[in-house]
Amino acid sequence: MAVPPPAMRPESVRRAVRPVFVLACLGTAAWIAAIFLAPYLRSRSSDAGASFLYALFAPVCHQIPGRSFFFRGFPLAVCARCLGIYVGSLAGLVLYPFIRGFSRIALPAGRLFLLASSPIGLDFAGGLLGLWNSPNGLRFATGLLWGPLLPFYFIAGVTELLLWRTGRRKPSRGLPGTRPGPGLDNRGEKNVK
Amino acid sequence: MNNPADATGTQRPEYIVPALIAGLAAGVLSGIPFVNCLCCLWIIGGGVLAVRLLANRTPGNLTGGDGALVGALAGIAGALARGFMDILMKPVNDALVRRMQDSLPQFSNQMPAWLPSWLRDVVARGTPRGFSLGLFFLNLFVTAAIFAALGILGGVIGASVFGRKKTPAPPPAQAPQAPQGPPDAAV
Repeated sequence: MAVPPPAMRPESVRRAVRPVFVLACLGTAAWIAAIFLAPYLRSRSSDAGASFLYALFAPVCHQIPGRSFFFRGFPLAVCARCLGIYVGSLAGLVLYPFIRGFSRIALPAGRLFLLASSPIGLDFAGGLLGLWNSPNGLRFATGLLWGPLLPFYFIAGVTELLLWRTGRRKPSRGLPGTRPGPGLDNRGEKNVK
Repeated sequence: MNNPADATGTQRPEYIVPALIAGLAAGVLSGIPFVNCLCCLWIIGGGVLAVRLLANRTPGNLTGGDGALVGALAGIAGALARGFMDILMKPVNDALVRRMQDSLPQFSNQMPAWLPSWLRDVVARGTPRGFSLGLFFLNLFVTAAIFAALGILGGVIGASVFGRKKTPAPPPAQAPQAPQGPPDAAV
């Protein structure tokens, strides 16, 4: 059996995946904390801090109060659907080591992505077409279903960039790419439920 | 169009143009009032679009790393476009806030007691604040970082969907010729 090149050795991948995973966990946790911190600061009359946090989230969310959950009498910094996505992402990060492990990088299957995306897509399309007006709980739930898949993409992509940068893996023109081959493969796709 | 081969002889795709096109589209759409109700999904969609455009221009397969790189660039381009849209849409946004400020006091008697005080603050604060260059650039920097992360996400998703090209099927292997017997042997 051939010895794999250094880039594909589990220890090389592990060295690259771990810091990405830890940073993703810290970033996501801080992001969610900031979502709750904004109304908390507003309730404590700390307007400067609250305004900064609300402004921080403004480019990524419409922040319509009617579509947001409230905390201590004030709307969260993002809408219910966005909150579901971020909380789902944190759940996906918690599950990541158990499903994928650190010794290889792989992308989820396209079918799984379509399956997880269909509730949020349907809910959004129905709302846009005026067919229904979902309650915030349902908006949150559709985001929560979609979010757990996102860290599996993010960690795989950033890890591969990191491997390029450290020279442990070169861009693979002509290689099978995101499909079975060095680096990213989807041999583990069945593990992502 | 590909860049020249690097020292390893590997062809690197041209990331900039697809990232600019997709980033501009996502940034503009995310900055239009009412259309921006898709939230962060515009920027994730921009990353997917960037990979789609990159795949059209690149003969080989694309990896998740390619997707992450072009997605991050698209995110940064999207943040710039969004900043431009914020300036462009400021009169519209200010008019919306002003209209709300004008209309709310008329209904202040009918406001329920549980109405959050932040809404009352909006009324009390008066006209929207003016433009600050320092705040604009701070906002642009933070937005670029956030959009780059969302763009990476979209780019990797795009690479998983559009990254693999269909390879031409190998020519069918010729079946080994059966030993020829007498012409009427198969009958």
